Amino acid sequence: MHEEIIHTDNTPKEKQNYVMLKLGRTPAYGWPAFKQVAKRAVSGELLVGLWITLKEMVKTLFMGGKHTTMYPFEKMPIAPRYRAIHNMLRLLESGHYRCIGCGLCEKICISNCIAMETRYDENQRKEVSEYTINFGRCIYCGYCAEVCPELAIVHGGRYETASEQRASFSLFDDMLTPIDMLKQQQEFAGFGSVTPNADAAIKKTPLAY
Amino acid sequence: MDALVVGTIIKIVLVLLIVSALAGFGTYIERKVLAFMQRRLGPAHVGPFGLLQIAADGIKLFTKEDIIPQHANKFIFSLAPVITAATAFIALSAVPLFPTFVIPESLPLIGGAIVPSIIADVNIGVLFVLGMMAAGLYGPLLAGMAQANKWGILGSARTAVQFLSYEVVTGLSVLAPIMVVGSLSLLDFNNAQTGGVGSWLIWQQPIAFILFLIAGFAETNRTPFDLLEHEAEIISGYVTEYSGLRWGMFFIGEYANMFTISILAAVIFCGGYGDIGFVPGWLALLLKVTFFFFLMLWVRASWPHIRPDQLMWLCWKVLMPLAVINIVITGIVVMI
Amino acid sequence: MGDMMNDNKITLKIDGKTCQAQEGEYILNVARANGIFIPAICYLTRCSPTLACRICLVEADGKRVYSCNTKAKDGMEVTVSNQEILEERRAIMEVYDVNHPLQCGVCDQSGSCELQNYTLELGVDSQSYTIADTARETANWSSVLHYDPALCIVCERCVTVCKDMMGDNALGTTPRGGSELNKELKDSMPKDAYAMWNKLQKSVIAPSNDTGSTNCSDCGECIAVCPTGALVSRDFEYTSNAWELKRTPATCAHCSSGCQIYYETKPTSISDRSEKIYRVTNEWNYVSLCGAGRFGYDFENRTAVKNEEAFGNAIEAFKAAKAIRFNSVITNEEALMLQTLKEELGVKLINPDAKAFQEFLNSYSAASGKTLWNGDYKEMMKNSDFIISVGSALRHDNPNVRYVFNNIQKMNKGAGLYFHPVGDSLIAGLGKNVACIEHKVNREEAVLYWILDRFANKDKLPAEISEYLASFHTKTAKTISETVMEDVKETVVDDESGESKEVVKKIPKTIQKEIEVDSSALLEAFDAPADFEDLVEKFLAKKESFALVVGEDMYFHPQADNLAKLVALIENTTEFKVSIVPPKTNSLGVALICDLDDDASGYTIGYNEAGDFRLSALGDGDLDMPALNQQEGTLTNMHKKVVPTNAALSYGGYELNDIMNALLLGKRLTIDWTKELPSKKGFQAVEFDSLPNRYTNDGVEHRGYMLESQKTKITVSMPDKMTANDMSGDIAYRCNPQRQFNEFTAKAHQIFEPFALYVSPAKAETLGKKAAFDINGKEFVLDVVIDEKMSGEIVKLPDFKHSSEIYAFFGKNRFKPITLRKV
Repeated sequence: MHEEIIHTDNTPKEKQNYVMLKLGRTPAYGWPAFKQVAKRAVSGELLVGLWITLKEMVKTLFMGGKHTTMYPFEKMPIAPRYRAIHNMLRLLESGHYRCIGCGLCEKICISNCIAMETRYDENQRKEVSEYTINFGRCIYCGYCAEVCPELAIVHGGRYETASEQRASFSLFDDMLTPIDMLKQQQEFAGFGSVTPNADAAIKKTPLAY
Repeated sequence: MDALVVGTIIKIVLVLLIVSALAGFGTYIERKVLAFMQRRLGPAHVGPFGLLQIAADGIKLFTKEDIIPQHANKFIFSLAPVITAATAFIALSAVPLFPTFVIPESLPLIGGAIVPSIIADVNIGVLFVLGMMAAGLYGPLLAGMAQANKWGILGSARTAVQFLSYEVVTGLSVLAPIMVVGSLSLLDFNNAQTGGVGSWLIWQQPIAFILFLIAGFAETNRTPFDLLEHEAEIISGYVTEYSGLRWGMFFIGEYANMFTISILAAVIFCGGYGDIGFVPGWLALLLKVTFFFFLMLWVRASWPHIRPDQLMWLCWKVLMPLAVINIVITGIVVMI
Repeated sequence: MGDMMNDNKITLKIDGKTCQAQEGEYILNVARANGIFIPAICYLTRCSPTLACRICLVEADGKRVYSCNTKAKDGMEVTVSNQEILEERRAIMEVYDVNHPLQCGVCDQSGSCELQNYTLELGVDSQSYTIADTARETANWSSVLHYDPALCIVCERCVTVCKDMMGDNALGTTPRGGSELNKELKDSMPKDAYAMWNKLQKSVIAPSNDTGSTNCSDCGECIAVCPTGALVSRDFEYTSNAWELKRTPATCAHCSSGCQIYYETKPTSISDRSEKIYRVTNEWNYVSLCGAGRFGYDFENRTAVKNEEAFGNAIEAFKAAKAIRFNSVITNEEALMLQTLKEELGVKLINPDAKAFQEFLNSYSAASGKTLWNGDYKEMMKNSDFIISVGSALRHDNPNVRYVFNNIQKMNKGAGLYFHPVGDSLIAGLGKNVACIEHKVNREEAVLYWILDRFANKDKLPAEISEYLASFHTKTAKTISETVMEDVKETVVDDESGESKEVVKKIPKTIQKEIEVDSSALLEAFDAPADFEDLVEKFLAKKESFALVVGEDMYFHPQADNLAKLVALIENTTEFKVSIVPPKTNSLGVALICDLDDDASGYTIGYNEAGDFRLSALGDGDLDMPALNQQEGTLTNMHKKVVPTNAALSYGGYELNDIMNALLLGKRLTIDWTKELPSKKGFQAVEFDSLPNRYTNDGVEHRGYMLESQKTKITVSMPDKMTANDMSGDIAYRCNPQRQFNEFTAKAHQIFEPFALYVSPAKAETLGKKAAFDINGKEFVLDVVIDEKMSGEIVKLPDFKHSSEIYAFFGKNRFKPITLRKV
């Protein structure tokens, strides 16, 4: 039954440690089937499962094996690549908002939730006079942040978006870095960036038997 | 008034209240136990250790909008949950719960009332309880068929198949102990096992006990036989269109049945409310029932559920022949 | 003409594909018509090749040629690309990208930019050339034009279209003041790219009159043709990306040209999600818009709601009505509904502009035996080389007729005669072979008789007419000086041989000669200049295809009936292709569909006009109606075509069809009337939804269907003799300013030509800043606006507002004596 693993181009070239279990064919009828049922019923495989869950319960109750985070009171740190409510960033030097109103985010948005108004301003520049994201429709795919040529729109970490309205809107000023917070403005670390304490945060989960 | 009548009424009230409340408490325990087995906490925020979660859920159930689907048969739709709850409680009336005792005279009004161990000591107790539980089949069956929902119909179909099939196993598995004891009264079962742990029927009838337990799981719609409302396959089966209090009645019925099965298992096979050493009878029964209840949760946390065809296969090709063989052997032994 | 063209079919191969073409067609156009892509930036289909971009370089029969100015020859083998040509093209695109700002994000053209497209198409992923940039300031050239020279690639399409199509000649190139190219590049870089760059580095676009403002008709066609974001409309600038706009193909609602346009819509704002028209665009290779079409788009009835009470009143009004007064800015379907009302309820239909046109057409049909004229503007534009315009203020009445007139001068080496009482320096400047003849008012008969006299096939001409025409001629003897060459014999002695030889020498000699001069009194009748006959003779040299355009002055004329007969006679006896220009948007449709009445008394319903109960698409009536950008329907345009228009914006109120339904005469939808249009008048029974509205790459117009000219009975034969209807004193001419046609254009926010008296600069001096006059006892005080291109004493009084009063004042004549008071 054991076959050699055939690599395709995009898989790593080194040998992988997969093990094929020799399960054989499940008998469906007759004596072999009866034999298997009898064997499994008597061998106590079912009890193994019971034993494991009981053990886990004891560990959880008395040996501090709990994994629960008490959510509203206690929050997990989120990864830098997390995609929640957007932030509109400012230029660090001048404090002017970065958005140039090119409309690429509006175009690329697959849930069609971004709308913007632009106009010819007094300085002969394109001014974003209003900008909104309909968070009732936004699916937080991150395309807008990815397409933005000015790093003006990025995803922030504000993920608690429950609201009384099904569709809640955010205007430009809601998302824009407050001018007095300019010093604290975080640069977007980029797609695929790793949580700083990623290694430490890894814990063995019940799936790791 | 006759002290026995007063006592019986007291007991009826107690059973109704306690079992109803236990249904709620049962969910709490279930959630807690499952959580612990999965390294979680379970309900934790409402009250100490999340105990008031039961109250919160109750309030939610009572205040939920009562929805009857447009094309449903309204009468049967309303009747079905009542059948489930009622049959479950009626079944309990022939089940002994603890030794008979007299309420101290010092208590006003009900002082001196004799609270019987069983509400109605009918001499066909086992038959009555099993019959009542079998009648409970009509709850899910009618509910599924009345709600004009295909998932409901599928739930109904599974109800009919599963309950009717396992009714056979339950009946046959209990037949052997009945033959041994020679009575259908549950009090007689209890009295037949008063000689300590060694006198429990479980030692004489281990196969009957296991068959009864398995069938009991199936009759109460518990994992691994929870096919009637298996949400991964048929949404919620026969309760798909139910909400609020009506859904709550199914829930209470299911938990009452779980207690009934637990008590039956304890009374028929594990010595009933007989004292175990220094442990008084009522406590012993409580511990046994608690264990069987826990076993149901434990199994749910550990085992996956099975397919309908495997369920049928297990019933008719494994359990039923085993039960018949068990009866034959028991009969031969009793004859000898 | 048509037969001749078929004979000239040639066959050539482009990239191995066999293509059929007309002789004389450019390779580029042949390729486009056959679905073969040749990159080209500066070329405009109906204009002369500019040769600015040089990117359309191809190899024809082994030689490098520019496909935009090389005519296809029979059996030619064309290769669109080879290695060398690709290198040239890539170098050209690299040069165009030198110093071009990279902020595509804020450019209005981004997404529909030809510079972007060709840069990508030719795979420019690196830059080989650099040069110091020059500071170039943005400028506003007019109330609508914004120019950013930094984005300009000086393809000169704007210059070309303005000259060859619009005739405004408002743009030209000016020195850029850029750095000199490094001479070494001449050898190192591809030849054409170097030549293009050398030229590019020297020039930039500017208004041709050196004032910094274009002072043109603000048609905005330069914006349309600009391949980059260099020329944009000031109103549209930075308000939307091209890809956000939804394009609705429609038909312009303002004049009878019925140009195909796209309304481009998008939600108004973030808080108001109702659609708004942001701009109008056109297929600029095949159709040219005027300022009204391009900028007069926001005339929708925005606030209309279903007001049931008003609707109830309207039904009552219709039941009580004796007459319906309307104008021709309606669809054929609405016209048919009104006609149905007339038939069912017996109301009278009053429409002054269509009525005059209808009467003219009826007289024409009675004399010619068919309902429609034989001219076609597309054909004229392509083939005609001699055009005469009579009775039309060419600059104002119908922009597309003017474009045709101009295009003939520029593209067909044509000549033109413009007969009109009001002098116009723009028309005079359209070409060196254009003559403007300012005749006295109401002398159009003389002009038409002259055309008959000069051009008619004398065999076809009826005897009476020949006699009548002959009566104008007088032959006078005249002595003129002429230089002739005289042969003089001389005896010359050869120095070497000593022989004497006789040599003939030519010596110029002036002699007096007596010739017979034929002078026609007709010329005096329309105030022809002294050298008119010679001028015409010169103009007619090598001319083959003739066109006559007849305008609104002829329908509003005391002698309109006779003029129509003359037009019919010209069409029958000369080679002229005749075109009769409908005065308003759908005058032709209304004239064909409706049975119109003269003025009637009694309870009147006004549809966009004055009345006792007013239906109005302008939003100011008793019941709202949809404007033409809010409803579906068809229009009949001057090209004799029935073209569909679509709703670009939603409309919340009632339509005429709702009223018809309430009167139990309606159909389910307005467009269900389309197939009911009268086939007896040349309409076809086709569903609205099956009418196409687009152009294909070969320039073929797939729009609606052609009206069929119907045969009629000839009931009158001869035109009458001329009658003089001279006027004295101040004369007013009913004529709208450019870009204004009706109340709808007046409502548009980018069209601001006021309701005023338009006068020549000379007349303005006598009138001052304001002038007053009375119409039916009502005093009008209007600003006096100087129209610098006008000359003469006649003042122009618009009718785009107060139309009932103005039409009533002028009556059956476009000219009227007026008493002007200085204010």
